[in-house]
Order: sequence, then C-alpha cells, then structure tokens
Amino acid sequence: MALYEKTAAELSELLGKKEISATELAKDIFARTKAVEDKVQGYVTVTEQVALAQAEAVDRKRAAGEALSALAGIPVAVKDNICTKGTLTTCASKMLYNFKPPYNATVIEKLAAQDVVITGKANMDEFAMGSSCENSAMHPTRNPHGLDRVPGGSSGGSAALVAAGEAPLSLGSDTGGSIRQPASFCGVVGLKPTYGAVSRYGLIAFASSLDQIGPFGRSIEDTAMLLDAITGHDPLHDSTSVKTPFEGSVRANLKADVRGLRIGLPKEYFGAGISDEVRKHVMAAAETYKSLGAEVFEISLPLVEYALPIYYILSSAEASSNLARFDGVKYGYRTPHVGDDVVSLYVKSRSEGFGSEVQRRIMLGTYVLSSGYYDAYYKKARAAQRKIREEFAAVFEKCDLILTPVAPTTAYEIGSKTANPLEMYAGDICTVSVNIAGLPGLTQPCGFDSNKLPVGMQLIGPRFGEQTLLNAGLAFEQASGLRNIIAAL
Amino acid sequence: MKYQAVIGLEVHAELSTKSKIYCSCSTAFGAPINTHTCPVCTGMPGALPVLNRQVVHFAAKMGKATGCTVNKLCKADRKNYFYPDLPKAYQISQFDVPICENGEVFFYVDGEKKSCRLERIHFEEDAGKLLHDEIDGTVVDFNRCGVPLIEMVTRPDLHSSAEAKEFLETIKTTLSYLDICDCKMEEGSIRCDVNVSIRPEGSTEFGTRVEMKNINTFSGAVRAIDYEIARQIEVVESGGEIQQETRRWDDVKLKNTVMRTKEDAQDYRYFPDPDLIAVEIDDEWMRQIESEIPELPIARYERYLNEYGMTAMEARLISDSFAKAELLDEAAKSVKPKAAANWILSDISKYLNDKGAELPETKLTAAKLVDLIKLIEAGTISGAAGKKVLPAMFETDETVEDIVARMGLKQVSDEGAILSIVREVIAANEKAVADFKAGKNVTGFLVGQCMKASKGQGNPQIINKLIAQELAKL
Amino acid sequence: MAISRKEIEHIASLARLDSTGGIFDRLADDMQDIVGMVDKLAVLDLGDITDVIDTERKNAFHPDEVVQEYTPDQLIEPNAPDFQAGGVAVPRVVE
Repeated sequence: MALYEKTAAELSELLGKKEISATELAKDIFARTKAVEDKVQGYVTVTEQVALAQAEAVDRKRAAGEALSALAGIPVAVKDNICTKGTLTTCASKMLYNFKPPYNATVIEKLAAQDVVITGKANMDEFAMGSSCENSAMHPTRNPHGLDRVPGGSSGGSAALVAAGEAPLSLGSDTGGSIRQPASFCGVVGLKPTYGAVSRYGLIAFASSLDQIGPFGRSIEDTAMLLDAITGHDPLHDSTSVKTPFEGSVRANLKADVRGLRIGLPKEYFGAGISDEVRKHVMAAAETYKSLGAEVFEISLPLVEYALPIYYILSSAEASSNLARFDGVKYGYRTPHVGDDVVSLYVKSRSEGFGSEVQRRIMLGTYVLSSGYYDAYYKKARAAQRKIREEFAAVFEKCDLILTPVAPTTAYEIGSKTANPLEMYAGDICTVSVNIAGLPGLTQPCGFDSNKLPVGMQLIGPRFGEQTLLNAGLAFEQASGLRNIIAAL
Repeated sequence: MKYQAVIGLEVHAELSTKSKIYCSCSTAFGAPINTHTCPVCTGMPGALPVLNRQVVHFAAKMGKATGCTVNKLCKADRKNYFYPDLPKAYQISQFDVPICENGEVFFYVDGEKKSCRLERIHFEEDAGKLLHDEIDGTVVDFNRCGVPLIEMVTRPDLHSSAEAKEFLETIKTTLSYLDICDCKMEEGSIRCDVNVSIRPEGSTEFGTRVEMKNINTFSGAVRAIDYEIARQIEVVESGGEIQQETRRWDDVKLKNTVMRTKEDAQDYRYFPDPDLIAVEIDDEWMRQIESEIPELPIARYERYLNEYGMTAMEARLISDSFAKAELLDEAAKSVKPKAAANWILSDISKYLNDKGAELPETKLTAAKLVDLIKLIEAGTISGAAGKKVLPAMFETDETVEDIVARMGLKQVSDEGAILSIVREVIAANEKAVADFKAGKNVTGFLVGQCMKASKGQGNPQIINKLIAQELAKL
Repeated sequence: MAISRKEIEHIASLARLDSTGGIFDRLADDMQDIVGMVDKLAVLDLGDITDVIDTERKNAFHPDEVVQEYTPDQLIEPNAPDFQAGGVAVPRVVE
C-alpha cells in the first residue's frame, strides 16, 4: 500500500515510530498529485516547495527528539478561502486572482503550531457560492469517482483531493452544506462543526453567521484528528468563537457504541425531492443503527420547508455586505479601464471581477436589505431562523442525533444544472437547516449508487454534539466497512 | 413675517481610548500615513472585528452624564455604502438599539437656563482620510479607520445659533469632565452636522429640514446656522420652497452648496453585524460607570453662583475646566472659596496660559493652594511674595513653606525687629525728618526705605504703623 | 413580488454592479425566479415579529491596549493595485 493510500492516523503512527519521514510522505503525496491532478483539478495552487521545506523541518525536529503533535508532518490541503500568509488565496475568483494575504487565518496558525504540512489551496465555487465547484473562476474540479461528474461544492476541491488520495486530510468551509455535500459526492467524511467551535478569523467571509470551517478525511478517526487540531476559542480575533466542551479531545474519546442512542429520522427529509437510491441507502443505514442497538424513530421538522428561502435571504444579505469590500481599491482585481471617477472604478472592477453567481447573490442580498423590503425578507428570515432553532432544540429533547440524506441525488454531470440557479439551490435542501440552526453536521459514505457513485448520509447533532456525532459515525463506519475509499484514477 | 428656526445637531466625538474600536491599533493622532493599521481596520478579506470594552464604558458614561437611559443590551449594525475612506464598504455603527437613549442636556444662554433633549448616543468607527495633495489623484490614509466615535443626536429643540453654540460647549465640557475625549477641535475630535428648518413664529409644525455637513468648529457652526436660517428665510420670502437636501458648508467662502438632494438619498441597508455579538452592561458594570461620573459642569456652575457668590463669568471660567473646578472645590474645604477662586482665575490661569500647560500635568495641588492662601492670611508672606512663590508650586514637590524659606520671602512681623529698622531709617534720613517737620508727607518714602532695609520682608502694615508712631514722637 | 427592470437597475447601482452588462439580462430573469422562491417565506405565519437582539452570546471584548504589528509596506503595498505616497491611490475624489 502506497503512503498516499493510508489514513492520517496510520501515517501519524508511522511517522511517530520513524518508519517513514515527513519528507518521504510529502514526496509520495506530490507524486500522486502529479499523477492524477490533471484529471481531478482539485487545486488552485500547489505549494510543493514550501510543503517540502515544512516536511524537512518536521523531520529535523523529530530527529532532535522534540515532542510533536499527532498531525506533525501530515499533509493537509486547505480551501482557497482560508488566508495563508504570503500564499495566493483567491476564493477561486478573478476578484482575488493575485491576492496574497498579509496574515494567517487562526486555523492556519494552529496547524502550523502542530507542524502540519500544507500542500496547497483547494478549488471551490467562487467565494463559496455554489454546490458543484463549477462556479470557480479558475477551472471546474472533477469528481474522482466519475470525471464527468461534479465533486459537489463549494468545497469541491477539498473533498476531491482527499477522495483522490492527493491529501489524507483537508479543510473546507460550510455555509449551507459546502463541506457535507461535496463529502457525500466524493465518498469521504466531512464535518461541519457547531457554529463558533472553529475560529473564522482569516476565513474570507461568505455569510458570517453561517460560515464554519471544518475537516475532511477518509475516516471518522482522521476527521476527528483534524477537528481536534482546529477547534478552540479565539477571543481576540473572532467575537463569535466559543469555548467548546470537547476542545482537542474528540479523537481520544472516540467510541464505536450506539447502544441506546436515540436517532430521529425527520420525515420531511425523505420526501418527494429525494432520489430513490439515496433514500434507500440512508434508510439502510438507519437499519444498521437499529441492529447496533440504537433506537431509531420518525420525527418531524416542519419548518424545513422554509429553510431554503431563509437560507438564501440570510446568506445573500450578509454576502452583499461582506463582498462590498472587493471594490478594486485596496487589493485584488482593479479594472484596467479606470475612468476618472471612483464610482466607475468600483462598478467596472466589481462587474469584471465577480462571476455571475456571485453577482446574483449580491443582487439578491442587496434587494432583501434595501429600503422597503427589509422587513418582509431579512427581518422575517431572522425571526424564522429563531423558530427553526427552537424546533431543532425541541427535537433534541426527544432524540440524540438526526439522520438524513445529504443531497437529493448523488454527483451529477458537469454542466447539467448550471442553466437554472433555482435547480442548483434546491440541492441544498438537506443541508442548509444545520447552518441556520448553528448545529454540527457530519457526512460519511453509506453506499454506492448504480453508477458506482458514492452516496452519503448526514448525522445532525445538538450544539457541541460533535463527540456523539463522530462516535455514531465510527460505529457505522466499522459496521459498514465504508472507510478510506480512494477513487480509482 | 417673523420666523423661528428649528435646529437639531448630530455631534461626533472621538473617544480617547488607546486602541481602536475593533482592533488593537493605536488611535494616536498624526502618525505617518498607514502606520496605525492592521488587517482588521484596513478591511482585509477574512479579518474580523472584536469590540474594545473601553468604548462601551466611555459611551455609557456620556449617556449617564446626559441623563440618558443606558441600555443594558445593545448591538452593532452595519451601515453599507461605498467610499474610498471606508475599506470594508460598511461602517460598523448602531442602528435601532443604540447604547444610550432619551437624554437631556442643560445649558445657559444669556443667563437663561435652557435644555435640549438627546434622542440617542451610539458608538461607531471613524473612516479614513483622503489626501488630495500628494498625487494627481487621491491617496487613502487608513490611520483614522476604526478610531472610536460616539454620535450624539439631539431632538430639534434648539432655536438659534447661540443656543447651538452653548449646547456644543456643554457637550465639550462634559466630555472633558468625563475624560473620554481629548476635545482637540483642530484634530477633529469633535465634529457636527446640523439640521435646520424654519417656521412662522408661533407655529408648531416643522418645516422642511436641510442637513449641513463639514462643520469643524463651534464658531463655524454658528456661522453655518446663521447663514442657513437667512438663506431659508430668503427662499421662503421670495415665494420659493425649501428642498429637503444635504448641503455642504464652506467656512472659508462662508456659504453652503448642495451635496445631495432627496432623490439621491442613500439606502444604507442597515442590518445587525453578524461578526459581532450582543453587548450587555450588567448591574455591576453599570454601578462602576455611575460611580465615575463627577459633579457635572452645569451643577458646579450653579453652585458657584449660589453658594460661592461668584459672578456668572467667574463661575463659568472655572466650571468650564474640570481641573480648575476640582482645585477650587478642594481648596474651598479649607479656605474661603472666593480667595481660592481669585488665585485660580488670575495667577494660576495666567501661568497655565503662558506655559500652555494643563493643570493636571503640573505639581500644583489644592493642598498647596490652601497653604499659600493661609500663609498670606496669617501675614507670614505678603500677597506680592505669594505671586513669586506660585511658579515653584507648579514646578517642584517642595512645600509652600519650603519655597518661601528658600526664596527668603518670609515676612517679618516681629514689631521689635521692625521698630529697630524704623528707628535706623529715621535716623539715617535727616532730610525726610526735616520735610516731615515742614509739614510734608514722607510716610511713603520712609516705608519704601524700611522695606528696602528689611530686604522686602518687613510686614508693610506694621512698618506703616510704627513709622507713624515714631514720627509722632518727634 | 415582481421586480421591474428599473428596480434591478437601482439594486445594481446600490451594489456597484454594472446592470448594462450582458449577464444582467439573464440575471434579471433569474432574480425574478429567486425572489419567487424566497417569497415562499411570506406564507409562514410568525405572528408579530419584533427584532430581538440575539443573546445566545454576549460581550466579546478586546482590552484597550495597543498592539502594532504591521507596517504599510507589509500590509497594504504588496496587494495594492496602485500604491503611491504611502497608500492606495484612486482617481481624484471630489468631495
């Protein structure tokens, strides 16, 4: 078995025992990238030279007998909306085609402190707006399990790189499903942590109240390892960050035991829009849980019907304001046709720099915040958000976790949904509620469809329910054997 | 027809925190371009704001000092607009739930007590500075971005430029009493926008209001208001109609011009800033804030008039300065308020003016002032000697007695010692004695000679008395 | 709610986007559809809506202490499209 085929936990052990070096590992990983990246196109930027230097530094530290973290020397790819000092951070947008942040995101500082080797910046939908990675201004990323298929989005690059064996772990961000849906499409594990569990400082904002950075891995244990590395209260940099009860200890407390666990199946998530194959596999997973001793029963979350409008109002409103700073003045793209007034500099830079999906969302967001419409849209969506939170809180009185599909279908063909934005938005139906309610959500593979494309399932937990989520995920992973799936390329 | 002006003000004051409102950059004025910046205040992608606690504290203090309700719970909102001095393209301000609401400020105009209600006080960040002289275009200096401001919005309770000026002076004095703003007008620490409308005298309806921006001094506010009232009257008198608009005041050309009409009114799309969380001032914090509010200028002013018997001018001059008022009140516990006030209004103020110094920077204390006044009252030193002692009281840690002793200014009041000097002087001045006998008044001359002989330390009253006594013996 | 072309142009001008560009013809249609989708929220009855402050979390502060970590040549110059006289330059702004 080649090194790139191993899980992060296995690699960590080999590195710890000095059976392999971080440099060897990095070289193996980049050899894999050279072999398959033409097909997958998961990266915007590969930082091979910096990564090799980092790997050598780790090896020196280990040789010197320094105590190192479990992730020391482990390669991790990072979504291209997370600021890396001095390394291009483009959000897959022409608007930031040349942007090199002057500072590191908090998660990058944390990974650096743990001697993680960062392999490069992963492709995404422009400014994380999209569900297919086709909105990247650079190039679309392809699904390693079917190169004519989308990898999902917006963290499509992060998911595809892990599925293709180009990195054992990666970081993504999830605003309405942007980690969970690509994880599902690519047959890997993805976790959207509780809102506030991971610092957003340095994550280029799409929708501040919904965005959350989270890990991808090919196993529950790997995902827990990376979660442990990035969680933590960041009071001086992110006002919305919180102290979590599980900080840094999830992997250590993993336990594949679901006996007596109460798992709810919300009937609204299994309705007409969901493909038969997806429904079948998720229901089979529910049966697996029953056989493992969990209590599985139907529940209801009626407000889910309104989740899409609430999500698109809130996220677009915030985005219209968050993306206003991209005006051609301070950084990134400035129109070459600068006129003699600053308004035309703004309008041209923004219209030339942003892709059409981003402009659509900015328009929607500006509209719902504008005078005369604020109450009907934004204010109402905020009120409805509170209702959804209450509804989830009430449900979690009755059950410990919620099991649902991740997306209505498995990965679809590239180009098949780009004509109609609403059709694309509808694909977010199973994931957006989790962000609206600020909850943790876990995606992991639960089977393959008739096209041999991965099917994912989603477990939703209460706030700070990450340990329970990952424990349940581990139990299923062990029962199903669906782990460490690397696409044959 | 006679008209009444209706005036409302929006006053911005920069808070004198060390660091900015949402990051840890310095707020110091006058630094080289862009040296007080970081990813947060330059609006770098991914950077996030964290509120400076002191801003909340200062804003709440101003609220308490102006009779506002300080809200236990408030939040920050984004005000969205594009301008090169606003790097995020939104200003973090407060919209529907400001930190303070419903206050009232009292002040005197020509001896008459007036008041102006405050609708609200909120905190927000300042914008950067656009420099037009450096290059052909415009260069943006982000140093001021994120300097904390409070905005105080009045109700339309003011009716003349004189009232507006006194209101502004009271706001300024209050800010300086609370020590939350350096009040340096030349550095733009206090700025204001003015809303003016007119209506026929006796009417209770409001006219169409015009907003004026770019007013940088209080005297500029007076000029701008007077100009605008006159302009509006002229428009109405000539059959025209006032347009709801924003006008820009030019304090050099002494006129205003249209900036924006109602049609291009901005839509700021305010919404709660999702990067920030609620601010709660709990009971303990509120008590702490309340405990830091000193007796305010208007209360002191009234007390100085009524209890200290000072004139309006004197009371105003001292109550305008927190340090002077504190000095007076502390000294007044031990000496007559008038005596202390006279020193403060004359020699102490003169010293501070000459040196360009602020009282708290000096070593003068109320205890020293009391000692000085008591030494004079006891006749230990003369009033003239007291004036000589004063500079050292500002500049050294010596006690007043030590200064007096060091400078040899102690007054000799021992009659025996003075008598021998008087006798010597009379003996040495035969001509004066002759003149005296010829009926001339020589007392003044002899007192001068005695003062000279006593090296200025003889008590002049005693010398006078003894000369009269000795001459009478001749 | 149907959105007129004039409203689209107004929104675009607020957002500093060019509504005369080619993508805007399609975008106007898309906006119609998207607004139709978010209008579904209108049927949800929430009673009287008052904007309450989210109090799930309160009071995150930084202390009033100065930390000056960056110089303009590290922070602003490397990414500035036009850097002159120590800052980013734009066409002359007439105030």
